[in-house]
Amino acid sequence: MTENEQPTPEVSGHVPEAPVTGQGRMDVAWGANTGDETEHELATARTVGAGQVFEQKYTPWSGELNPRWMRNWAILRHHLLGIVKKGHRPWTVPTRLFILIAFLASLSDAGMTLLAGLVGSSEFHTLFGVGRDNLYGHVLGFFPRNVLYYPIIAALLVGSVISEDREHGTSALYFSRPVSRFDYVSMKYLSVAIIQAVVILGTYVLYFLAEILAFGRGWAWMVDLFPMFLAGMLGGLLLIITYTSIGLSLSSVSTGRFFPGIGLLAIVFGTKTLAAIVKNLFERELLYLLSPYDCVAHVGQALIGTQTTYDQYPWTYSLVSLVAINAVALYVLASRVASMEVTRE
Amino acid sequence: MEDRPLIQTKGLTKSYGPHKALEDLNINIPHGATGLLGQNGAGKSTFLKTILGLIQATSGEGTVLGFDIRTQGVEIRQRIGYMPEYDALNPEMDAIHQVRYSGELLGMNPVVAQSRAHEALQFVGMGEQRYREISSFSTGMKQATKLACAIIHDPDLLIADEPSNGLDTKAREFMVSTLNTMVQDGKRSVLMASHLMEDVERVCENIILLHKGTLAAQGKIADLKAIDKEIEIHVWGGATPLEQRLIDQGFRVRREGRVMRVAHTEEDTTTHILRAASHVGAQVRRMHEYEASLEDLFLAIMDNLGYSVKSSDDLLRSPMEAKRVDAPERLGGGAS
Repeated sequence: MTENEQPTPEVSGHVPEAPVTGQGRMDVAWGANTGDETEHELATARTVGAGQVFEQKYTPWSGELNPRWMRNWAILRHHLLGIVKKGHRPWTVPTRLFILIAFLASLSDAGMTLLAGLVGSSEFHTLFGVGRDNLYGHVLGFFPRNVLYYPIIAALLVGSVISEDREHGTSALYFSRPVSRFDYVSMKYLSVAIIQAVVILGTYVLYFLAEILAFGRGWAWMVDLFPMFLAGMLGGLLLIITYTSIGLSLSSVSTGRFFPGIGLLAIVFGTKTLAAIVKNLFERELLYLLSPYDCVAHVGQALIGTQTTYDQYPWTYSLVSLVAINAVALYVLASRVASMEVTRE
Repeated sequence: MEDRPLIQTKGLTKSYGPHKALEDLNINIPHGATGLLGQNGAGKSTFLKTILGLIQATSGEGTVLGFDIRTQGVEIRQRIGYMPEYDALNPEMDAIHQVRYSGELLGMNPVVAQSRAHEALQFVGMGEQRYREISSFSTGMKQATKLACAIIHDPDLLIADEPSNGLDTKAREFMVSTLNTMVQDGKRSVLMASHLMEDVERVCENIILLHKGTLAAQGKIADLKAIDKEIEIHVWGGATPLEQRLIDQGFRVRREGRVMRVAHTEEDTTTHILRAASHVGAQVRRMHEYEASLEDLFLAIMDNLGYSVKSSDDLLRSPMEAKRVDAPERLGGGAS
């Protein structure tokens, strides 16, 4: 209550010139009076000295601003919490829904393992339980995970992460504050990668745990399979890094959501399809080195020790190709973010 | 602290290849409100980016709030609030969350940022619209939200880029009064880039005028206006002979029909005018000192630079070919 306001509401007859204040409106709306007033008393107005409710008053603030890590945490938190909570980065409903569906679908092998443990079927366990091929399949298997889940999640996530700042001019919000371009892009990169990691690697860990729980595996089993498990994690990380690098570089050259998303899918599936066609027609495998997915899969297969899809060339070729693909993508990303304007875009 | 200039540059130059976006700027901006004027391409944006520490000056030096613009960009950006001209809000977010996030980006903890976001939005008159999505906002509401984002940490200096651009009369009035409240009641400093002379004049005591990357004028508006004092007279009968006589006597006269403005260069200018009128038989029906507006001052400065423009809009909105850009020293320029 301001100094000028009267302590009690004053009910008066309706006067056209009387200021209609917020309190007056509330009195009318909620029937603050007894309800027995005569008709002309229905429109009431609180008498306020200044004739209005709003009083503009500048409030100083003398708090301390936290250092760099807190600003970076703010960017990360903004993007991560936006997936599950209102008030942070507004991810679209289809994106959130798809991530949830993909997360649940990625747990299918964990569910089947639990089921196998419950029914005690060894055939069932051979099909779905933790093993070299199934660990590989969880993170790097082409169908359905790298057709229907992971690239689409990456496409939905990267679609607007940087391009929206160009589109809405919100880059000014970051760069006019003590946020460096490196911090800006690295936190965005990390947030997209973490969300993918929750789906890909989170479910991978749950799958491994499901096997331990369902079949009561001991330390010996765990130690035995741990290198394989780590190799799968590494393969998954490579996949996440590659999808994120390509996706964000496309996002940085765009001002819309559609192009980066569809561009990423086109690169992943286009190069894969091209490599497959060339291999089948000409029995030449070389073009798979252009396919980010094939390269990750090849390296992953070598790390886990499962049979390789492409065997004309060593897996180190794929690793070199992956490094080159990521380097080009990161170069584009860095140069585009460096050119983002603070005064106008 | 108050004695030290808010922003000080010495020989500040920024080149992009052969093109000099800023050339040898020697600027002293005192505490309080200062207007930054200049046409498109004058170097306003480059100047702002340079003082924010976002781009490195090619040569010269400068300080903002005592911090070196070459090495302490982060410290500067922590202490200033920047309100961009263009949209800088996520339309899918609520105003309160957008403002809170802008505070978090400064390093405020989320709880404090939320509390300050409420206060900042209340101050800019958006208290009732805090939880509305920004996409549903009018231009005025978006401008107010941008201002709230800029002042959430109570900055020592607010840089407002065209704060009243595109607003209707009511919203523009509110924006100007809000900036005034910050300066008068909040005792904060504002650097306001605008092409709306009237708004600059209402908020600012000082101006900086840039032209083609060089300093065309700087100083207190009142002092600069004093350079161009005039006496306005309304004449009946014999306006042309009176005009001629005054010109013959060495006065600078501007005439529009029966209204004449005579440069107030001497103490007894009024006596000279009355004598001249008496001599040619003209009636002076009204005579008063003409209060020049910032617009007039602007035109006078540009006239000195060799331009013939009719309004600030001509100059600020459309690029013109410069004839010369060296401002006279009496206007604050560093011309040789």
